[in-house]
Amino acid sequence: MHIKRYTTDWTRRAFLQKTAVGVAGAGLLKPLWSSMAHADDMTKAYPEELLSIEAYTKGAFSAGDMITADNVDQVAELLDPLTVMQIRDMGRKIELVDSTRDITRLFPHEYLEATLRNKGKAGLDANGNVIVAETGQPWIGGNPFPEPTSPEQTFANLVMSWGRHDDSVYAIRDWDIAPNGKLSYQYDFIWAEQNTVGRVASDAPYIQGEEDKLRYQAVWFTSPADAKGTAFLNTWKYDQREFPDLVGYLPAFKRVRRFPTNQRFEPLVPGITIFLSDAWAAGDPMLTWGNYKIVETKPMLGAVSGNWTGDVDKNWERGVHGGPDGQTFFDTKMELCPEVIVVEAEPVGYPRAPVSKKRVYIDARNMMFIGYVTFDRRGEMWKTFEPSFSQYATNDAQLLDGDHPAWSWTHVHSHDVQSNRMSRFLQAKQMSGGHKSVYNMGSDIYSRYLTPQAIRRFGT
Amino acid sequence: MEAGIRLVARTVLKQRFWVLALLVAITGFFALGLRHVELKTVFSDLLPSDHPYVQVYKDHPNFGNPLTVALLVKRKDGDIYNAETLQLIWDLTRDIDLSPGVDHDQVLSVATEKARYAEATPYGIDSRPLMGDAPPRTAEEIETFKRAVLKSPYAQQFLISEDESGALITATFIERLLDYGETHTYLQQLVEDARDENHEIHIAGQPMLTGWVYFYEVQMLFIFSITGLALLLALILYMRNFVGVVAPLLSSLIAAVWGFGFVGWLGVPIEPLIMVVPLLLVARSFSHCVQFIERYFEILTHVKDRRRAAEIALTVMTAPSVLGIVTDATGLFLIGIAPIPAMERFALFCGFWAMMLVPTNVLLTPLLLSLLPTPRNAAQLMGAGETGFYAALRRGLARLATLTFGKAGRWTAISLAIATVYAAWNVTQIQVGNPVEGSSLLKERSEFNRAVAQINQDFPGVNTLEVVFEAKSLEGESRVAREAETAFVQSRLQALVEKMPDPPEASLSFADYLPEANRLFAGGNPKWAPLDYDDRAVAAAASALLVGTSPKAFSHVADFELRHSTVSFWYKDNKQDTVDRAIEQVRSAIAQLGSEYPNFSVRLGTGTIALQQSLNDTVDTYQWYILAALNLVILVACSFAYRSIMAGLILLVPVNLSNLYLGVAMTQLGIGLDVNTLPIAAIGIGVGIDYGIYLLSRICEEYDPSTGVEQAIVRSVSTTGKAIFFTASIVLIGILPWYFLSELKFLADMGLLLVMVMLINMLVALIALPLLMWMLKPAFMSAGNHAMSESFNADDHRQPDTENSPIHRCEALGST
Repeated sequence: MHIKRYTTDWTRRAFLQKTAVGVAGAGLLKPLWSSMAHADDMTKAYPEELLSIEAYTKGAFSAGDMITADNVDQVAELLDPLTVMQIRDMGRKIELVDSTRDITRLFPHEYLEATLRNKGKAGLDANGNVIVAETGQPWIGGNPFPEPTSPEQTFANLVMSWGRHDDSVYAIRDWDIAPNGKLSYQYDFIWAEQNTVGRVASDAPYIQGEEDKLRYQAVWFTSPADAKGTAFLNTWKYDQREFPDLVGYLPAFKRVRRFPTNQRFEPLVPGITIFLSDAWAAGDPMLTWGNYKIVETKPMLGAVSGNWTGDVDKNWERGVHGGPDGQTFFDTKMELCPEVIVVEAEPVGYPRAPVSKKRVYIDARNMMFIGYVTFDRRGEMWKTFEPSFSQYATNDAQLLDGDHPAWSWTHVHSHDVQSNRMSRFLQAKQMSGGHKSVYNMGSDIYSRYLTPQAIRRFGT
Repeated sequence: MEAGIRLVARTVLKQRFWVLALLVAITGFFALGLRHVELKTVFSDLLPSDHPYVQVYKDHPNFGNPLTVALLVKRKDGDIYNAETLQLIWDLTRDIDLSPGVDHDQVLSVATEKARYAEATPYGIDSRPLMGDAPPRTAEEIETFKRAVLKSPYAQQFLISEDESGALITATFIERLLDYGETHTYLQQLVEDARDENHEIHIAGQPMLTGWVYFYEVQMLFIFSITGLALLLALILYMRNFVGVVAPLLSSLIAAVWGFGFVGWLGVPIEPLIMVVPLLLVARSFSHCVQFIERYFEILTHVKDRRRAAEIALTVMTAPSVLGIVTDATGLFLIGIAPIPAMERFALFCGFWAMMLVPTNVLLTPLLLSLLPTPRNAAQLMGAGETGFYAALRRGLARLATLTFGKAGRWTAISLAIATVYAAWNVTQIQVGNPVEGSSLLKERSEFNRAVAQINQDFPGVNTLEVVFEAKSLEGESRVAREAETAFVQSRLQALVEKMPDPPEASLSFADYLPEANRLFAGGNPKWAPLDYDDRAVAAAASALLVGTSPKAFSHVADFELRHSTVSFWYKDNKQDTVDRAIEQVRSAIAQLGSEYPNFSVRLGTGTIALQQSLNDTVDTYQWYILAALNLVILVACSFAYRSIMAGLILLVPVNLSNLYLGVAMTQLGIGLDVNTLPIAAIGIGVGIDYGIYLLSRICEEYDPSTGVEQAIVRSVSTTGKAIFFTASIVLIGILPWYFLSELKFLADMGLLLVMVMLINMLVALIALPLLMWMLKPAFMSAGNHAMSESFNADDHRQPDTENSPIHRCEALGST
């Protein structure tokens, strides 16, 4: 007989108490990161009811079950309302998998090591930027605040390293689905990013001479023909009060042009519902948003494991379903995340912002977001941005990002629920033009992807 | 048939409690449906679904989207280039973005990011919003803003007035999220709060117009309650007895529950504007009941037994009542012929309600009469004693009847013929469509119509005609809006139309935006503005235009996928002359350019101008279809009922004469025939045929070859005519307040129109029908074998004191 030590009521009370006192650090029974230091698994930090969907739902669901319109009401409290709407009204289905108990499967190896190594070293300076508290230097890698004590610290974990590799090139295939379920636009593009500080797989945490920056990041469109060669390059300042520089290249005009960078609530190219502001739920410099607050801490379902399809599709692509034409949603697996911190922020630095706030759901275990919702100025939900992550390893296949199995995002749903347009995109192994997804490729990434000359070269 | 009716009548009265129980149960069922009744305007349902323009609108709802409001900020003492006005424009733009149901991507003013100016700098394209992150406050900032506006040609034309005293803010709404009442309340409050001594604020657009109708709903309900009270008062004054008031009231109330409950169960919304018709149905219900009760009183005076009198009344009145009701209801059902979803729903709702007057009036009234106390004043009501109002009315009607035969009848016939010829000529002048600038639903000086006039004066206006360039293929990467041939034909079309006499105020297409984008991305020199008309150059300019912006920013000229696009032409107003000219101009330009191309078709059109024309075309066409169908139904039904085609033809004459005279009245009153007034014409025919049937039946009944048709006419007009006079009068009294009290011009017009309907039908029924009977002396008049005779054998029911009955006429009615 299974004897419950902690009931769901106990869990709920414990979360309420944590939220009330402003403690955002992971772990309910004991702090997760001290368990990690003692090489324990998560069972020391969370009761069984938060690590098993079967236990949590009293046997109503178990790993392998599918959440559908018929049963979504039973787990509605574990999903954001827009996901519930997608399942209930649009035919979306989500497969449940076991909760991850081994925290190494929720990080790239070097990033996790840096997080453990640098735990307790970070602080926020007078302006609110992340620094090494002792030296005042830029951040040196890993999650700066694995045990945050404020909403700003919680959010800073998303800001300092988007993809959690020093250098990443993602081959991305995007489909934009119209309200009638038909394909409206389709793009192939490359997303390249290089952290200039906080590097974890390199000899030094900074690229020399680039300490005043946070990252370089570029988007290159390779398909369709009318977009091929179009590229944009962002240069992010370390100071999170400043906007990145944005330049673009349109092959038909053969000129690199600077673009206004403070207009961040528009898509880069027609048809996509993703704004500059949406990237990684932290697409804007952190300090151009304000009034951060933790509104809730609770268990939720999140797509954080089992989503890599490298063993069943040679290009890592995946099945689709739902919507009026059966292609609005990717097949997705979710697990019960024992502790999710819900942070809200307001666009205080954008007097003309069409959004009133964003709500970001952050998995307390790895401090990565599992969902993100924006609200319009009337306070009504506008867009949901739902990423899926996975360690790139299965029983039959794996991908290394050096000496260890890679961890990265696999696919994303970005749904403008007001106009009912869905952009869904995935990280593919390779795409048109022969570009491949690759992590920690080293300094070559800069010259190949991240300079004005590179984007010009690409377009010609 | 008569035997059958008699059997039914006997059974109904014998089993009256069971029948009552059944009616109560049905009423309970429909009462439950009342919870689901919804008064709501669905804009797209007001349009004729089969009209080519409406099909273009439905295929491309974003082009010339009628669900757009335009808000004008007008500085009273100068131009908008001052801190106070610019702050106001900024605030209103931000606040309008908070409106319920607004599409955030389609709010446009000089304060939104979408209104940009662009310049090429040594560092790249500097494309910035006209206003920064705050409205300009200092003189320097204002000057910078003004210079930016000068660099943005479309802002100058569409967002700031030529004299610089006004700025326009537009916002488009999402139909499925739009609640007209809520949005109107929000926007109107916004406007009222923003008005001050230095600024006029005007707001127009379809959502506001419908919102005003919603706003006046409360007033409309108040006026309707006055009408209801007036009807009740008239009934009380006329009947002056319990049964005569309660029976019509209960019957009509139950019919109303059935009618509303029916649409409640169907879950279809009722258009608020047509709520005038249900009120008329209540009046019609009163009318049928009064006809019935009058007959009951006559019989009761004779037979002295409530149940027996009710049974006889049911026997003799069933056929004319049912025929009258069925023809009434048919008129309403036939409105559904017009392929306008709102009209179809209206026809179903009102037709069902009207049809349900058969059980609720014809069946229920005699049951109530048999149960309720005997009135003491029945004899007086029948005009006994030759004194009092009723007797005077009878005498007056009798005198009127004398105008329909003999020498006077000849003069009446000649007068009627002259009036008819005049009417036939005059009715050709009737305007189909909108005779005023703005909306004829509201008064000319209403806030809405003043807003429309002011916006039309300062800007290209709110009325567009859209010519859609529709891609032939929706698959693959082909995006026709950014192809060279599309841009070329669009520019040619604009040039052709703008060179015509009385050209539109402005035109705009996706192609218009491309040269500027080309210039800026090519380095800024004006020499780069002209486009090479090849696909590569046009696509490049389109890419430049759309970088960093959603296609929604251009949804007024191209669809989200950049496959379909439109050319918009703005016209000063939406009067019918303007609408006709606009369509003619654009049609001839398309004829010159051709409408079929390899990758796209040119389709005329959508926008307010085209949609208005679609309604006009439909009303113009279907009014004849409805009239013809109604005539046919009346002819068949009446010919069958009277066993005479001549009877059917005779009944059609006054009905059509009334319709003709109603047309004249509309012309004289300046009321156009449109989708809102069309049902009234059909109802008018229903009213007319009702009167005709009752009167004709009575003439047949009264006819005695020995005394001649003249006597029959006099007796009929002075008895049945009295009921006709009463029902017309009470409706007239009840509706007249609409004209004086309503802020909604539509309701005032409807009031006037319905008054005309009742008056004209009453007079024509009382004069033209007897006149025809006298002139033609049809054979069916003396035939007793038709189903419509109201007569009964008095000897069968005579009571001991019958000799004292004032209804001496009954004794002569032994025809059956």
